[in-house]
Amino acid sequence: MFAFIVRRLLQLIPTVFLAISFLFLLFYVLPSDPASIIAGGNNRTPDPLVVEQVRERYGLNDPVLQQFLHYWGRVLHWDLGTSFNNGQSVNALLAEKAPRSIRLAIWATIIEVIVGISVGLISAVKRYSLIDKLTTVATTAAAAIPAFVLGYLLQYTFAVTPEKRNWPDWLQLKTSRLGPDSWFLFFIPTSDQWRYLILPSITLASVSTALAARMMRGSMLEVLKADFMRTAKSKGLGERAVIFRHGLRNALIPVITLIGIDFGTVVGAAVLTETVFSWPGIGSQIVDSVFDRDLPVILGLSLVVVIAYVTVNLIVDMSYAWFDPRIRLGERAGG
Amino acid sequence: MPMVSSAAKPQAAAGGGELIDGSTFPQGTPSHLEPALNAELDSYQVVRAMYDGLTDIDTITDPAAPATVPHQAESYETNEDATVWTFQIREGLTFADGEPIVPSTYVRSWERAASLGGDYSYLFDFIEGGAEFRAGEGDSLTGVVADDEAMTLTVTLSAPYANFDAVAGFQVFRPVPEAAVASAENYENELMVGSGAYTMEAPRNDQEIVLVKNDAWGGDFSGNTWETRPDRIVFLISADVDTSFNSMEAGETMSASVPAGRAQDARDNWGSSLDVIQLASYHFIFNDRDERVGGEENVLLRQAISQAIDREAINEAIFNGMRVLSTGITPPGIPGFQENICDYCGYDPAAAEAAFGEWTAAGNAQDGPLPIQFNDGGVHNGVVDIIVENLAAVGIEAVPDPQPSEGYFSDFLGGGGAVFARVGWIADYPTYDNFTYDIFGTASLDLNNYGYSNPAFDDLVAEAKSTTDPEIRNGLFNEAEELLLNTDVMAVPINWYVGDLAWDESKVEGFYQDVLGLVHFEAITVVG
Repeated sequence: MFAFIVRRLLQLIPTVFLAISFLFLLFYVLPSDPASIIAGGNNRTPDPLVVEQVRERYGLNDPVLQQFLHYWGRVLHWDLGTSFNNGQSVNALLAEKAPRSIRLAIWATIIEVIVGISVGLISAVKRYSLIDKLTTVATTAAAAIPAFVLGYLLQYTFAVTPEKRNWPDWLQLKTSRLGPDSWFLFFIPTSDQWRYLILPSITLASVSTALAARMMRGSMLEVLKADFMRTAKSKGLGERAVIFRHGLRNALIPVITLIGIDFGTVVGAAVLTETVFSWPGIGSQIVDSVFDRDLPVILGLSLVVVIAYVTVNLIVDMSYAWFDPRIRLGERAGG
Repeated sequence: MPMVSSAAKPQAAAGGGELIDGSTFPQGTPSHLEPALNAELDSYQVVRAMYDGLTDIDTITDPAAPATVPHQAESYETNEDATVWTFQIREGLTFADGEPIVPSTYVRSWERAASLGGDYSYLFDFIEGGAEFRAGEGDSLTGVVADDEAMTLTVTLSAPYANFDAVAGFQVFRPVPEAAVASAENYENELMVGSGAYTMEAPRNDQEIVLVKNDAWGGDFSGNTWETRPDRIVFLISADVDTSFNSMEAGETMSASVPAGRAQDARDNWGSSLDVIQLASYHFIFNDRDERVGGEENVLLRQAISQAIDREAINEAIFNGMRVLSTGITPPGIPGFQENICDYCGYDPAAAEAAFGEWTAAGNAQDGPLPIQFNDGGVHNGVVDIIVENLAAVGIEAVPDPQPSEGYFSDFLGGGGAVFARVGWIADYPTYDNFTYDIFGTASLDLNNYGYSNPAFDDLVAEAKSTTDPEIRNGLFNEAEELLLNTDVMAVPINWYVGDLAWDESKVEGFYQDVLGLVHFEAITVVG
């Protein structure tokens, strides 16, 4: 197990290097001159001297290979550079935005785990019942509704309507923003923070929860048909024990994989949710930086997303051994 | 007749308090916040609240006719040919931390702004030695002389310019404290100290920008210190316009930007600036170098295109009736504005068909459908679809030709790719030359990549810019615009922008958006 972990951590290095290098080179393939864009070319024709000054200031005149080596030289010292847009340190930007995205991702994942697995499990156990039909409709709708539509609906229902109808304060949630920066154990909101967190978490979790529920249902149905489940029942175990002690752990493996992928995705790609709820995280910042051709920010934040993604997937892989004791991590097949 | 909102209402007895503003930053964190680097209208709201300049634009006395007035300069004068301007700086001016503002403060600030190379640094080319300084060929702005004893600032221009007083009050010319020099472009990430009605409470972050009352402020251009102005302004940053409006409806903010599709809601339930014409034009241009549309031989075609377009239908279908139909490029509110200056801006399909018929009878023919360019996304797709339909109705073949939004102005238009292309222009300052020289002059910023270059037009504009008599000057600008629109027909005006803000009248009084798009935060009283 230890060797497996070390090997996977070492794999992080070439993964990160290849991903970030690819993005670096992609920057120069994008249409439009980055110096013109940085000098305001999205809104007006910039002054040629201003464009030239931008090239000088940010080293955009240097050969691409030189810029590439210079960039990695700094990254090895964990200096991610400064934003072309406003001169802010990318390290500082990261320290500010990464925790926000991670907290939102944690809560979306908690919702996905609790609701998705529960709904999928019930749906499978009560197959073809009214509950199963209702959950099928609900999960299909949740997967189909675009995040921004759901977000606006939730804002209107839980923030605007209470204000217009003078509902009590405790029923009123917030439309957007982060709220007071007060947390327990990094991700548990204290004071009023929860009013700001609920709606974006639900919105972010909606599609992945629906997919997790569908996958859980399918996986559980497969497991319920297995021989070992029949054996457990024939040994006189109650239905609850059969399902939870024997069936669920086996059915969870593909679902855990999905949840792991989702977590990595939402850390860096929750753009729509972050935009609708003005939750200034990594995803929306990366998109803005692409439009602004802000290379240091694009690379710096993407670096973190890649690391988070690989780390989460490592944890997911390690969890397989717990869920299914037959799996021995790091051993060769047939060994 | 275009409607303009009334000026600030008389203030109620309440005052001070905290203004929670959701209207200024409805679409993300501002890139820049300081006078030397900012190029966005959103951030200009904050710059204006924090920094005063030599002059200001009075949009209160007569909102329909903004006028340039002295501000930090108590008076100014120019010589006969408008090449030398002398500003008498008021005594006793300071920044919020007590640092005095004297003529040399301007020199230091201008040299800093010119060397930082922000989007508007090219304006220093108006000053003698400015272009050389920006190119690194000199170590000072030779055309500016400061006398701190006599409290005068003398500016020699590189060319005659009768509207320099309006430009001199623009954000890039507003002075900043000495600390800004050492901090260079990083100053806007620190605690900025203002000289205007407000100063910063804390360095900005990506959630909010907070300003507090500057008790050292000497007042606006009329000396009014607006004693009931808010003590504190919190500019909340939203990433989405619809969300910003929802926030106001949820009682979380006192103002918001109005998203497309909610104009009627804003008019019915909130105070709004939707009837205030902005100094901004939405129009299309022809590339004079393109043989399909350019040159004298295609004047009739250009006339036909302009008259075929149903501007009212565009306004109703795409802009929810919110915009004002153009009768020229230059909008009302610009000194010298002449109503109905454009002969071909009315919807007249019969005349369009006749002009097109005359053009084809002269032996001309379309070499394929006319491509109509625009930056992809947003409302422009719908506008161009209607134009294509309108043109087809009079026999002119056309197709939409969307271009990537990124680099539309700098790369596509700047690279000379236009045939018949959409452009927009928002006034940097309320002068006629900003809508003539800066867009259509041969030596203008876009380096004339639209292809329009008429020496007669350039001469009229140059003469106007150097004429100090306002009546003669405005007449010359009118002639230039008539030449552009009626003789050469090189631009097709569509509409003028209108204000886009809404506010909660139960919580604030005196909130209004002027013709430049600016909110006068000092004039607001928090009542709720």
